Amino acid sequence: MSNFEQFHSDFYQSSYTIDNQEGYNSYGCNENLCGSRKNPTGERPRAGAFVTSEILLSSQSYTGQILQPTYSPDTLSHLSYTNGFDEEPPLLEELGINFDHIWQKTLTVLNPMKPADGSIMNETDLTGPMVFCLALGATLLLAGKVHFGYVYGMSAIGCLAMHALLNLMSVTGVSHGCVASVLGYCLLPMVILSGSAVVISLQGILGTLLALFVVGWCSLSASKIFTSALAMEGQQLLIAYPCALLYGLFALLTVF
Amino acid sequence: MASQGRDIVDRNIDRLVPVGRLKYYFAVDTVYVGRKLGLLVFPFMHQDWQVRYQQDAPVAPRFDVNAPDLYIPVMAFITYVLVAGLALGTQNRFSPDSLGLQASSALAWLIVEVLAILLSLYLVTVNTDLTTIDLIAFSGYKYVGMIVGLVSGLLFGKTGYYVVLGWCCISIFVFMVRDRQTLRLKILSEAAAEGVLVRGAKNQLRMYLTMAIAAVQPLFMYWLTYHLIR
Repeated sequence: MSNFEQFHSDFYQSSYTIDNQEGYNSYGCNENLCGSRKNPTGERPRAGAFVTSEILLSSQSYTGQILQPTYSPDTLSHLSYTNGFDEEPPLLEELGINFDHIWQKTLTVLNPMKPADGSIMNETDLTGPMVFCLALGATLLLAGKVHFGYVYGMSAIGCLAMHALLNLMSVTGVSHGCVASVLGYCLLPMVILSGSAVVISLQGILGTLLALFVVGWCSLSASKIFTSALAMEGQQLLIAYPCALLYGLFALLTVF
Repeated sequence: MASQGRDIVDRNIDRLVPVGRLKYYFAVDTVYVGRKLGLLVFPFMHQDWQVRYQQDAPVAPRFDVNAPDLYIPVMAFITYVLVAGLALGTQNRFSPDSLGLQASSALAWLIVEVLAILLSLYLVTVNTDLTTIDLIAFSGYKYVGMIVGLVSGLLFGKTGYYVVLGWCCISIFVFMVRDRQTLRLKILSEAAAEGVLVRGAKNQLRMYLTMAIAAVQPLFMYWLTYHLIR
């Protein structure tokens, strides 16, 4: 408000520069605020942020729990005189992307009959889910439906709802990241369904049966992982049903 | 800083939504859900409608099939939205927006119904231990009948829809009348020790209210599903 009076009293050029400087200052402040907030929120697992860019992931601090360190202290001392670039861990390790674990989790999803190891899901890894969501959007695009926004919205709401339900139903709680990770991995059969929708039309009896089968497959693997991770006995069907509802929504999007 | 934010969110959530009480309504297991669903579709053979209590607090739904829960109503609501989407899809009227439309309109009707029941309970000045969450649970049970009706309508056409919906309307009516009564009359039985004649008129009013609420359920069931079956 004060610079408005200045505008009247000063020449046009000087008030213009003052406004400009203040504008730059406020922009700089916003940058700092955003920057200081970005790091902690980058560490905290996000609910269903399937389509956020990997740049945010890279700003996470390196936790070092994914892989064994690929460099031993010997090489470190050997390289200590060239500090900085050579001492940094490899890019994938720093990003937290571990292809071996991703492949293992994918295999767990693809074979719901095999009993799951509950400890795999301890790391909240959102890379695989993001790839699967983008693949789902891409295959839907191939079928002529631009539904990226719907996929994103439904997965976000589904993650929030699933997180709330699991926290209400189980004794131990879960975090958003774990729920998002599990639900995202179990989306893989849905990608297969929408891929087949490109080739054949899913609106007949065969399509309905295929969609039901895929929904059952997705929810069975998701509930298997959830029950083994949360130790909820006698409730697997109860967990499978909400998962089936969520994947049924995706199937509706794919079929119709 | 993120953990501070999360603490603030948790504290405020606890103030708005009683998480501990909600956990009671979700303490279910598969056997309970199966029995309750059977009860909702066929309540005629069930004899004992009393809710079991344990030191003045109702027993968790896991152990007593008469206790209300929130798992079935919530799941039934979402299933209803899904089946509505399926029905629209088979008639080529589907778009992802219509799913949101169905969901919001059904939610709006649910809120209207719960508010109407709360208002009528307030006007009749009846003291019950029916909480709002109980009312939401009871209003949500009719979605099970709606889903069964819709599915049979999709499979067997209009006649199937009407037959099954009629059956579900009758069962939900019977279920409401008998289950609601046990909760309501709990208060009444304590007061009955002091004097039954004084409470006679109020008792009748309560019966009428229960009947009215139970009769409104089939109306809602028909209203929310008929436009999906063409």
